[in-house]
Amino acid sequence: MGRKVVITGIGLISPLGESAEGVFAALCNGKSAVRYQEDSNPTCAVGCHLAARLIDFKAEKYLPGRPLRPLDRISQMAAASCSLALQNSKSNYTNPARVEFPLVLGTMFGGMHTIGDFDRAALLSGPASVSPMAFANTVINAAAGQTAIWHKLRGSNTTVATGSTSGVSAVGHALELIQREKVAVVLAGGADECSFESFLGFSRAGLLCTNSSHAEMPIPFDDRRNGFALGEGAVILVLEDLDHASKRGAVPLAELRGYAAAFDVSQGKNPSQTVSALARSMRMAIDRSGLALDDIGFVSASANGSVLQDCCELSALCGVFGDRAERLPVTAIKCGTGETLGASGALQITVAIQTLKTQELPGIIGLEKLPPGCRMRGILPTTRRIKAHTGLINGVGMDGNCCSLVIVGLD
Amino acid sequence: MIDDFDGIKTMAKKAELHRVVVTGLGVVSSIGTGRELFWNRLVAGCSGIDAVSSFDTSKFGVHSGAEIREFDPVPYLLRFLPSDIGRASQFAIAAARLAISDGNLCITEKDSNTFGVVVGTTSGEPGVIEQFDNDCATGHPERTSRRFISTYPCHVLASHVAAELGLGGEVVTIPTACAAGNHAIARAYDELRFGKAEIMLAGGADSFSRITYAGFARLGAISPDICQPFDLNRKGMIPGEGAAFLLLETADHAQRRSARVYAEIAGYGLSCDAHHMTAAHPEAEGGVRAMQLALGLAGIRPESVDYISAHGTGTPTNDRLEAIAIKKVFGEGAQRVPISSIKSMLGHTMGAASAIEAVACTLAISEGCIPPTINLFHPDPECDLDFVPLIGRTQKVDVALNNAYAFGGNNSSVVFARYKD
Repeated sequence: MGRKVVITGIGLISPLGESAEGVFAALCNGKSAVRYQEDSNPTCAVGCHLAARLIDFKAEKYLPGRPLRPLDRISQMAAASCSLALQNSKSNYTNPARVEFPLVLGTMFGGMHTIGDFDRAALLSGPASVSPMAFANTVINAAAGQTAIWHKLRGSNTTVATGSTSGVSAVGHALELIQREKVAVVLAGGADECSFESFLGFSRAGLLCTNSSHAEMPIPFDDRRNGFALGEGAVILVLEDLDHASKRGAVPLAELRGYAAAFDVSQGKNPSQTVSALARSMRMAIDRSGLALDDIGFVSASANGSVLQDCCELSALCGVFGDRAERLPVTAIKCGTGETLGASGALQITVAIQTLKTQELPGIIGLEKLPPGCRMRGILPTTRRIKAHTGLINGVGMDGNCCSLVIVGLD
Repeated sequence: MIDDFDGIKTMAKKAELHRVVVTGLGVVSSIGTGRELFWNRLVAGCSGIDAVSSFDTSKFGVHSGAEIREFDPVPYLLRFLPSDIGRASQFAIAAARLAISDGNLCITEKDSNTFGVVVGTTSGEPGVIEQFDNDCATGHPERTSRRFISTYPCHVLASHVAAELGLGGEVVTIPTACAAGNHAIARAYDELRFGKAEIMLAGGADSFSRITYAGFARLGAISPDICQPFDLNRKGMIPGEGAAFLLLETADHAQRRSARVYAEIAGYGLSCDAHHMTAAHPEAEGGVRAMQLALGLAGIRPESVDYISAHGTGTPTNDRLEAIAIKKVFGEGAQRVPISSIKSMLGHTMGAASAIEAVACTLAISEGCIPPTINLFHPDPECDLDFVPLIGRTQKVDVALNNAYAFGGNNSSVVFARYKD
């Protein structure tokens, strides 16, 4: 695995902003996109009113010149973030090599809203009345397929689903495609939208943050946390072999080094098994990066305010980093972005890139008190300066998937 | 044929990669569950196509489907209750268990931490969202199950298999529609080839879906009666359901435990048309590229291919384009390669299709027999190749090529070869 893989472009669509710098600045300034939703239909039934929604997304701004009607909303988000990524990486639009770029997109639900709408239309008005155009978007790979069609990407087109860790899995897979010397450039990231279906589903499962008397917002790692808030977004990163990037004069933003995944066979039912699966994925990712534990300068945690998973992540960090865990700088960006599911891992990467560049680590908005007995003093509500050359990105799923990715700064 | 095997070995050795072998097969299908029953009925030309029974088709205009009747998940479930998980997960777990026992594998603790699962699917668990839609469409969203969100998203297919079998490695679902089974096999092949794991399960699963049926019916793509790939009078595809898993190991791992080896995976090719969501490229550009990439990675010349398992859905356009693609890749040799579509018997099992077809390719090599394309009575002059009509054929197969194409413009080809040290 001799090749160095760097990120040379970022495209993102998020309620916190449309540039990596913008999202980073918002997080550093303690701004959250999680809002009280007055209008959202299912909230009345379930007592959860919080979400970080993309209110004023206008796809034509990013995807001009052609009819957008064949693309459903999540496809538009993915294709738009891909436009931004290609522009950001200064990938020459007339470059014929671009057409061979593979695309790897992570998603938990794909177009679940499109699928549900299509089915309900068939139920209510009869199967003869459904739209063939909508049917095309009922496959879970629709967002990746539509993005490939829009941008004429003829390389392999893969959709990766590992639940809320899909984004980390997708970028990890893309990293390996380049490390294995198969291709020089891969577009990879994730997308998920906040839909009536997902909102209702997570609410019924009791996983969402309810506005209790203690916490008005979902606060990762906070002792008062009682669930997460859904978010939405799409992120595409341009991953590139360093030599290839240097030859075309592209500016590398950071290096991706090692990826690993592990599965908790108890699917979260036995916390000690969740902890050991996450510990395994962190250790393997660091090991595959050719680095030591002491090299890790900060962690971008998966924590989102979930009662159980946040706790497991704390234990795993303590277990893996030992005595160093007390001082280890840790951030958790889902306080500001909400749980963007398939997009979240790629969003964590874009924020980590800014941290490596500016040496500033965003605080966890609203954090007041860690769980009893937790001595990790590097988990703070305030943004602070750190000295870090290397970061660790975690993804912890709700039902067993754990994955980790190591990101290294460039001098 | 034989002379290219040195090619495979040289390619693997050059990059110091592992060779990857198939050591266990598990199938759940409308013509039978388990490797032996499935294969016997497949080469005999049995059909699993019948009138749809899982929902009312009176408003659809078409009524045929390839459903699995009388499937009992209970014998395969040790951890889950059947009511805990959707139908596609039940199929997947059954096929996975069958592959493990067919491969005579005891999962050791040493293996279990890196043992991974890759599952391809089109729809994940459509039955779960269909129930949700029934409630919402009748004005009762509050009836939504507390378990809706933990049983619906497609990644649960791989997760349920891993949880049921206790596998702690890379556990991934690849929902790339009707090419998903091949995508899953390709992914697992790479994990093994590059030494990330020594043993993996790769396959596909899909359950019969009202959503899929409504969509294909609306497109006018469903045949009113039977499935007749490459026949002049073919009228369309038949939606189906099923699951298949291949137990894949590095050759070293298989050798250490003295496993029976069915065949070797020699290479794969993936491409995207980037042309249209549902229509194939008019010159089959992406399909040609996928086959060429697969053969190139395998280091195998087209003339060495002994069998092609076609995507062959039975729709007028897709079959014609696949014939064109094969001619472009194989040139004059296209006339000499036996090609068949087992969708003539199983219907189109969506994300499971290419996994089930991969099982057929593997068994064609180990059993020396090619399954037929049934219902092919009148060859289409535009599809003038050897489609093994009506009757299976006893023939030595050393190299088999598995094609699968999908919505989103996905094209995939996987090459299987007889394994030789």
